[in-house]
Amino acid sequence: MYKLLLCLRYLRTRYLAFICIVSVMLGVATLIVVNAVMSGFSTKLKDRLHGVLSDVVVDTDRPDGFVECDADGYPVPQRDEHGRVVFGPDGNPVPVPLSPEKAIERILASPAGPRIAAVTPTIESFAVLQFQFRGQTLTKPVRLIGVDPKGRAAVGGFSEYLVRQAGAEAPSFDLTTDALDRHDWNRHRAARSRVTEVPDFPPPKKLPPLPGFPDLPAPAPPVADLLAPPPPDQAAMNAQMPDARPAGVILGYTIAHFRYKDASGQVVEERALQPGDGVTVFAPGGEAGGMRPVWGSFLVTDYLKTEMSEYDQSFVYVPLEDLQRVRTMQGRCTAFQLRLKDYDRDKAFVTDQLRALFHPRSGAQVATWEERQGSLLAAIDVEKGILNLLLFLIVGVAGFSILAIFTMIVSEKYRDIGVMKSLGASSSGVMSIFVGYGLLLGAVGCALGTGLGLAITDNINGIERFLTEATGKAVFPRDVYYFKEIPTNVEPLRVLFVNLGAVGIAVVFSLLPAWRAARLHPVRALRFE
Amino acid sequence: MLVAENLHKTYRRHAVRVPVLNGLNLEVKAGEFLSVVGASGSGKSTLLHLLGTLDAPDAGRVLLDGRRVDDLPGRERDALRNRTFGYIFQFYHLLPELNVLDNVLMPAYIGHSVVGWWKSRSRWRARALELLRKVGLTHRLAHRPRELSGGEMQRAAVARALLTNPRVLLADEPTGNLDAGTGGEIVRLLRDLNREDGVTIVMVTHNLEIVSATDRVVRMVGGVVTEDTPATPRPFPHPRLAAV
Ligand SMILES: Nc1ncnc2c1ncn2[C@@H]1O[C@H](COP(=O)(O)OP(=O)(O)O)[C@@H](O)[C@H]1O
Ligand SMILES: [Mg+2]
Repeated sequence: MYKLLLCLRYLRTRYLAFICIVSVMLGVATLIVVNAVMSGFSTKLKDRLHGVLSDVVVDTDRPDGFVECDADGYPVPQRDEHGRVVFGPDGNPVPVPLSPEKAIERILASPAGPRIAAVTPTIESFAVLQFQFRGQTLTKPVRLIGVDPKGRAAVGGFSEYLVRQAGAEAPSFDLTTDALDRHDWNRHRAARSRVTEVPDFPPPKKLPPLPGFPDLPAPAPPVADLLAPPPPDQAAMNAQMPDARPAGVILGYTIAHFRYKDASGQVVEERALQPGDGVTVFAPGGEAGGMRPVWGSFLVTDYLKTEMSEYDQSFVYVPLEDLQRVRTMQGRCTAFQLRLKDYDRDKAFVTDQLRALFHPRSGAQVATWEERQGSLLAAIDVEKGILNLLLFLIVGVAGFSILAIFTMIVSEKYRDIGVMKSLGASSSGVMSIFVGYGLLLGAVGCALGTGLGLAITDNINGIERFLTEATGKAVFPRDVYYFKEIPTNVEPLRVLFVNLGAVGIAVVFSLLPAWRAARLHPVRALRFE
Repeated sequence: MLVAENLHKTYRRHAVRVPVLNGLNLEVKAGEFLSVVGASGSGKSTLLHLLGTLDAPDAGRVLLDGRRVDDLPGRERDALRNRTFGYIFQFYHLLPELNVLDNVLMPAYIGHSVVGWWKSRSRWRARALELLRKVGLTHRLAHRPRELSGGEMQRAAVARALLTNPRVLLADEPTGNLDAGTGGEIVRLLRDLNREDGVTIVMVTHNLEIVSATDRVVRMVGGVVTEDTPATPRPFPHPRLAAV
C-alpha cells in the first residue's frame, strides 16, 4: 500500500520527477515525430517510385517489338513464298512479328490470366524532343511512350497524374478548342513571320543574247502523251486521305515548364509549352536491324505531373497508333503493362508464368515495378536502417539521463528509506517503490510525449512555415524535395512500440538505483541528518 | 521481557575497527520506563538498533519473551519492527512528502496490501485520530512536517510509533533537538503512555534532567552497562519552570 502511496506522492511533489517526465516526454515525442516523418517520406517516395510504372512490365529490347519464338526461345524467321529465310538489312534473319492482340490473348489464357486485372500494349523508346521557345529551337532527351490512353488508364499510374484530365477514366489525346485555337494562332504567326522575313527577289532579267548565237524560239509546249494515264484527280485523292487530325502529346510537367529562382530567391515557374503548341520528336525507327531516324509532330494536349522529377522531366506520351505509324511498326509493340488483382500475393506467380511465355532469348524481359526500382528501394531501406541506429542512440542517451536522475532521487531519499525500514518496510518493498516510480514516470512521460508528438506531427507544416519565417532560412526547401508539404504517416503500431520501449527503458534504468536503495543499510541511512 | 545477552558490535571503517559494544547485558522488564544514559559515542543508538532488530550484533543474543529475535529471517524482523517495536528518533524522521495524518498512518500502510488497507482503513484512521488527539495535534492533520515546530513533529512521531500498539517503544534522544520545555512535554507524554497504556519504553538520553521521570536508569561506558539504578523518585519539574 505504502508503495503506491509514496509513488504517487513522490510524483506530485518532486521537482526531479518533473525533469524526468520531461526528458521521457521529449524522447517519446521526438521518436514519434521522426518516425512519422520518415515513414511519410518513404511511403510517399515509394508511391512516387511506383508512380507511372505498372505492377508488372513485359518489354523487349528489340526495336521492332515482340516476335514469335520457338520452344527454345529463339525467334522464328520469316520465309518467303519459296520457303527461303528472309534477311534484313543487317544480314540477320527477319523474325515473324507477334501482334499485341495475339500476345494479350496468350497472356490472358495462361494460368496467370485470372490474376490479371488489366493489360495494355505500349511502345517505349528513347527520343529527342524539339520545340520552339521565344525564337529559339530547344531540344531535350526524353522517353517516348506510345499508349492507348484508355487501356493505359485501366492499368493505373497514368490518368491520376494528368493535369487537365486528372483521374479521368477514359483520358484521350484530343485537343481542347482552346488548344486548337492556340495551334491556329501559332500557324498564322509563323506564316506572318515567314512573309516578313522572305525578301522580295527582283524578277529575273532577260539576259542579252550572246554574240554569234541566234535567238532561239521558245520551246514548243509538250504534246500530250495519249498513252499516259490521266492526271490524278486531286479532290478524289483528298477524300481518300484520313482527316488531318493533329496528334496530341502529353508532356512531363518539367519538360514544359522552367523552374528557377528569381533575384529575390523565390522559385518561379514559367510555362514554355502551352496546350496547342507544337513539338517534334525524333526517334529511332522500328525496323529489325535498322537505326533509321524517324520523326513526327505533335500538339501539346496535357501534362503529366507525378512530382517525381525523374518522370516529370523525361516522359512523353503519344497515341500508340501514331507512334506505330511514325516508327513504321504497325501492329507491333515493345511492351505490355499489367495490373494485378492482388499485387503482393500474385507478383511471384504471375512473373514466373510470364517468363515462360516471353523467353529472354527473344530479347523479352519480365519485371515487377519493385525489381525495376530495386536500387532506389534499397537506398530507402539503408536510410531507414541508419535512422533507426541513430534513434537507438538517442534512446540510449535518454536512458542514461533517467539513470542519473534516479540515482539522484534515491540518494535524496536515503533517510526516508531508513525510516521506512525502521517502520517495517522490507527491502523488496523499498525496491518496488523505486521501480514503480520509474514505471509511473515512464508512463506519464510517454502519455504526454505521445500527445506532444502527435500534435507536432499534425501541425508540422505550420511549424515549418513558422520556423522558416522566423529564421529566414527554408527548413524544408520545396524545390529540392518536390513535395508540397512535409509528408507524415503515423503508424499506430510504431507509436505503441515507442511507448513500450520508453516505459521499458525507464523501468530498466530505474532498476539499478532501486536495487541500491533496497540494499541500503537502515542504520546507516538513519544516521543521515 | 526484552533481554540483551553479551552483545558485541564493532564497526569497520576501511582497516580501522571501532568497537562499540563489548559484551553488553541488559534486561528490560515489561511495563518499565527505562532510560539509558552515556556519553556521546558510547553506543547508545547502536544498542537501540540492535534491540529493535534494525541491525544485527556481531555476537550475543537479543531475546523477546525468551525467543531469540536477532537472527530471525528478514521478513519476520520486518514484521516485528512493524508491530512490536516503535521507534522515535532525535530528528523526528517524518516523511516530508506526506501530511501529519499520512505520516502517522505509515506503519499501517506498510503493514497492509492495498486491499487489506482498504478493508481496515476506517479502523486505522480512527486509531490515528485518537493518537493525534492524545498528543494534541488534532488541528494539524493536513499539514506537512516542515510546517510544524520541532515539538509538534516529535509528537507526530510518537503517534506514528504508537499506531500499531507496539509493546516496546525505543526512543533515541527524543528530546535531543528540543528546548527544555517542549522536551519536558514529550517526556511527560511518554510517562503518561507508560503509566496508562502499559507501554514498555527504552529511552536513550544524555539529559540527566529528564531521567528522573523514568523508573530505572542504566549508564553505558566502554560498551557495557556500568551502573543500574532506580531513578531518584523526584517529582518531575513543571515544564514552565524547566524552561527557565
Ligand atoms: N557505520 C559506522 N561506521 C563506523 N563507525 C560508526 C558507525 N556507526 C557508528 N559508529 C561509531 O560508533 C560509535 C557509537 O555510535 P552511537 O551508537 O551512535 O553512539 P551514541 O548514540 O551513544 O552517541 C561512535 O563512535 C560512532 O562514531
Ligand atoms: Mg546516538
